[in-house]
Amino acid sequence: MRMLGRVAVSMTAATIGFSIISAAVAADETKPATLYGDMSSVTQDMLNRAGHDGNDFLLTNGNYWQQRFYPNRQINRDNVAGLRPAWIFQTDVTESMETSPLVVNGVMYVTTSFDHVYALNARTGEELWHYQQKLGPITTYCCGPNNRGVALYGDNVYLATLDAKLVALDAKTGKVKWETQIANPEEGYSETMAPTAVDGKILIGTNGGEYGIRGFVKAYDAKDGHLIWTFYTIPEKNEGVWAAQDATGRDMHRDIAAEKANLAKAGDLYKRLGGGVWQNPSVDLATRRIYFVVGNPSPDLDGAARPGDNLYTDSLVSVDLDTGKYVCHYQYIAHDVWDLDAVSPTVLAEAKDADGKIVPVVMEAGKTGHVYVNNRKDCSLIRFSEAMVPQEDMWSLPSAKGTRMLPGANGGVEWSPMATNPFLGLAYAINLHQPMTYTVTSAPYPNGKLWLGGAFAVIPTEAQWGNITAVDYNTGKIRWQVKTPQPMIGGVLATAGGLVFTGEGNGRFAAYDSATGSRLWQFMAGAGVNAPPSSYTVDGKQYIVVAAGGNVQLNYRRGNAIIAFSLAE
Amino acid sequence: MWRVALALLTLGWSVTGVAQTQTVEQKAAACAACHGEKGVPVDKAFPVIWGQHQGYLFLQLRDFKAGARKNDFMQAVVAELSRDDMMALAEYFSKKPWPDLRQKSATDAEAAVANRVNVSIGCTGCHLGQYQGDATVPRLAGQQHDYLLKSMRDFRSRARANNPGMTDLMKATAEADFEPEANFLAGH
Ligand code: HEC
Ligand code: HEC
Repeated sequence: MRMLGRVAVSMTAATIGFSIISAAVAADETKPATLYGDMSSVTQDMLNRAGHDGNDFLLTNGNYWQQRFYPNRQINRDNVAGLRPAWIFQTDVTESMETSPLVVNGVMYVTTSFDHVYALNARTGEELWHYQQKLGPITTYCCGPNNRGVALYGDNVYLATLDAKLVALDAKTGKVKWETQIANPEEGYSETMAPTAVDGKILIGTNGGEYGIRGFVKAYDAKDGHLIWTFYTIPEKNEGVWAAQDATGRDMHRDIAAEKANLAKAGDLYKRLGGGVWQNPSVDLATRRIYFVVGNPSPDLDGAARPGDNLYTDSLVSVDLDTGKYVCHYQYIAHDVWDLDAVSPTVLAEAKDADGKIVPVVMEAGKTGHVYVNNRKDCSLIRFSEAMVPQEDMWSLPSAKGTRMLPGANGGVEWSPMATNPFLGLAYAINLHQPMTYTVTSAPYPNGKLWLGGAFAVIPTEAQWGNITAVDYNTGKIRWQVKTPQPMIGGVLATAGGLVFTGEGNGRFAAYDSATGSRLWQFMAGAGVNAPPSSYTVDGKQYIVVAAGGNVQLNYRRGNAIIAFSLAE
Repeated sequence: MWRVALALLTLGWSVTGVAQTQTVEQKAAACAACHGEKGVPVDKAFPVIWGQHQGYLFLQLRDFKAGARKNDFMQAVVAELSRDDMMALAEYFSKKPWPDLRQKSATDAEAAVANRVNVSIGCTGCHLGQYQGDATVPRLAGQQHDYLLKSMRDFRSRARANNPGMTDLMKATAEADFEPEANFLAGH
């Protein structure tokens, strides 16, 4: 039975041109698949091939390229109407869920708010173990006690916590193997992202751009948690090139002369300039580089305190996987005073450059509402997509009275990961339309307390909505767009079955035709579906799984469910 | 006011006297003079600290001591406390039950204002569902009405300047909304 699963999936994938058979079958020959344990060890080889693995879901965003493209097409356009809940697991925590379920050999790992981890039988939803992080008294986080999932490597499960620790758990028992303090939570550091495991390293960024931190990506040794390297997202010299325009060529209305005059007075800006990294880096194994985006400068709205471009905030950055050394960067918005930064994870692809030549690219969906396509070689911008949401009065400066500008400060696109379909050349992003006013005030650095330098306020009388948008990344044109009644936050999964799955704040979880956007199936989950879906296959049966826990930031109805779907017999 | 003066007297005696050798219970006893024997504060403008979150309590004590938050009573209280004392007191009070102050529930009109404010500013994005708070974000539900009102005004005017983020949010909120908001939170 279990063998059947692998072979069936391998064939499915083979018919669409993947070369996975050798890998999957070879693994089966050496180690017969058993559900509870023996096969659970996650090797680097498995991770390298994760994107072609039609059984497991091994990395937060599917594979190192972060394509969120699942290669099995057992569930497809023709039969998705028959998708039904296979099981529902209720966690102990009814609060915002952002977890990306990972699955290896029939065991699923999910997380909840306040850093609980559950191992579940992926076939039945039965609990195998439950771990609850005992959080220290001081945690400082802007946007809810969220957790976006774990990383798997060897026999370990890795969790990063609200009190800024990295914890290694035994994958079989959930017992702590080691933990290490990443940064000081009293200074505003916290962790909500899932770590990334690669080549014996555990990579992790940090939250804290709302608290005057100095952002970073760190690499820890997967075995014992010792620090291997740190890349600070804020270099000591961060004034940059005094860019007057954003990546799309729009004037940002900077008073560069005044900024230059202030620079000498500004002191050691780099120590508190923000630049969080909210989401997993993508990994280019061929060049041994990682690509990630860096968030907003601190304080968010008050630029007076921080003259210069504030490198590398609001930027795409690439560093060397082995050393953490800088490779290249591209700043989308210099000297951001709107918090319209870059948070959705980067995706690697092959796409046309300006001359129509296919080149390795890295993509990112900005809060601005554009999908940016950059050249992986030097980080340079190739193109940006049509705006996915209304943009009005960009870039009007925040004012004491409050300035209305669109998009609002949640975007555009929030932290929600995109999915891509490499065969269609489409990237799927979910959007928010939330008219807001931007207000600026000045306050000195408050020792790790919330430091916005103003406020963003939703305009309660104006309509809000969301979109699911398919962007042709070879042209930047929008291929299709579906409007949703509420702003969207969570994430997207695309599958080889010609489908795109995503959820909404009102509890709707739906499947769309990846080529046209027509809605083919839906399920009302009873709580906001604001987390990225995953897919996996056990015993030859494909499942789609997603968390329905609502969302703190947009105040969507809370819940505590992990719901797995499969085709009715 | 006499009660407070008395409290300060008692406190001055106990803190300067045997502070170093006191247990956390003994240190905490001095707090009851104002914050209440059973967690019900002796004055309407004094906050509930029983059952408040440990991280939040600690940061407030830290801020009073550093002068980042100003209050004559509290600055006198923390003057002799070490970081460890403050953390121990924070832990001690966080484990006490939140008292029922029997404040009246908000009217529908007041609740509607609070909901509108929440849609605009997103209070529950930080103070969490049912305004229960967590860690360094305070519980607001069931806090003393007069204290809540004073806090919002103090943030707005920067009389309380230890959290510029809350100051910005209070500046972005209409002052007329503070009274219904305080009623709503006190009775929540
Ligand atoms: C003489 C009266 C008095 C005494 C004694 C006193 N407090 Fe206070 N405390 C106050 C007042 C008044 C405030 C509110 C200050 C303000 O309005 O900003 C306060 C505020 C606080 C706060 C901040 C609460 C919040 O919600 O922000 C904490 C924490 C606190 N006190 C702890 C203590 C501890 C611990 C002790 C004993 C070691 C103590 N207090 C003793 C009067 C007192
Ligand atoms: C971005 C996060 C955030 C948002 C949004 C937010 N708060 Fe706060 N609030 C805090 C934090 C953190 C504190 C603790 C302040 C400190 O560190 O001294 C606080 C403190 C307070 C206090 C003082 C409580 C006490 O015991 O002294 C009140 C009252 C309050 N907030 C009301 C509100 C209201 C009403 C809203 C919505 C209009 C709101 N807050 C929105 C984070 C937030």
